[in-house]
Amino acid sequence: MKFPLARPALALAITLTLASCGGGGKATFPINVMVSGLQYPGLVLSTNGQDLTIDPPATPGAIVTAVFPNQLEYGQTYEVVPKGATVVNHAATGGAQPKHQNCSSTLFPPYGTAGQLAKIDIRFVCSILAYPLTGKVVGLTGTGLVLANGSTAATVGVDPNLDANKNPQDVPLAMNAVPYNTTYGVTVLTQPTGQTCTVTGGANGTGGGTMDDAAEPDGVNNLVVTCVTSS
Amino acid sequence: MKSSILRAGVIALACALGLSACGGGSGDLYLAGAVVGVTEDGLVLQNNGGDDTAVVAPYTSFQFGNRVSTDDQFNITVRKKPDNAEACVVNNGKARANYYTIGQISVTCSIKQHALTVNIQGLKGSGLVIVNGADRHDVPVDTTTDTTTVHMATVSEGGAYGVTVLQQPTGQNCTVSGDGITNSNGTGIMGKTEATTVIVTCKP
Repeated sequence: MKFPLARPALALAITLTLASCGGGGKATFPINVMVSGLQYPGLVLSTNGQDLTIDPPATPGAIVTAVFPNQLEYGQTYEVVPKGATVVNHAATGGAQPKHQNCSSTLFPPYGTAGQLAKIDIRFVCSILAYPLTGKVVGLTGTGLVLANGSTAATVGVDPNLDANKNPQDVPLAMNAVPYNTTYGVTVLTQPTGQTCTVTGGANGTGGGTMDDAAEPDGVNNLVVTCVTSS
Repeated sequence: MKSSILRAGVIALACALGLSACGGGSGDLYLAGAVVGVTEDGLVLQNNGGDDTAVVAPYTSFQFGNRVSTDDQFNITVRKKPDNAEACVVNNGKARANYYTIGQISVTCSIKQHALTVNIQGLKGSGLVIVNGADRHDVPVDTTTDTTTVHMATVSEGGAYGVTVLQQPTGQNCTVSGDGITNSNGTGIMGKTEATTVIVTCKP
């Protein structure tokens, strides 16, 4: 009772000591993002209620680095996905993707708990979308027809489809998919036995064109390869 | 005391047997790897100057007939490359064998590239665009000559090419006719010769 303030003073001292320990020293974790292969605008990444718009780099081909505006505290979980994507078992589909491209984070997991790793480092890789180049082959009776899209991708062989009366039926044709903004020109590499085939359709009417905005998202599906008996 | 000596002896014997099994002549590690850039027969690999192994269709991997043991030195070399390959390189082909090193081996070949040239005759109008698949070339009008030469991107030996007119020039109609020797309509398979020429003729 001699020192009535001793106990409160001690309590105050402890409080001050604790405060100095905790104050300012609390670890927080920035969410770092690296995006490669980005060419077109539209990518918005999202996690923990934050959005981060990623614009294409000023220098084509450069890697874009960005950081989410708010840092996470130790123990907070995160999962970075294109904004609005459907996520099933950490696999994101759809969401705010760039135009003509698809970005995914398959190399390193884009999810985790802050503090699990020394640094949160999210990597997204973007690729150009490819669209179908399809149509039909009409009048094909001979074997050995091979079609090419120039030197791009593999050649495509087509076999005839004859009905019970040996009459040719239309055969579906699927060339290799063509990436956005690249040209295509379908040619007959090998004519079928006893027949001559010509290519029509595509954007220019003769089996050629560019996989441009007009061809999105369904691709070019009007190729017609017409085969007639050689004279 | 007696049982502990016995136990130690049994363990030592088991260890010795285990080690000799590992070190035994035929070995227990398959020497194999991935193959990239090969499109035809002809690639033959060797290990330590022997055990010739041909890479066959679909040309995506190889595996030597003889197995190796842990710590054996292996040195994989190319004995013979395919005819259409410019060069073949073995990656991580020399090391002492263990589960890590034998999983790192690959062989990469680069296929010979040949020039594809297009000679355009009688071009008067502007706007001609020719393509070989994704390889696009806009052809400007050259008033000083009747024949314009366009060098397309090189084509792999044995690979297909097909030159088409993507866009006709103003007031003219151009047709692809080929050179009549290696191709008749501007489409063909790149041969072993150094150059292939395609003819495009433009008429009013």
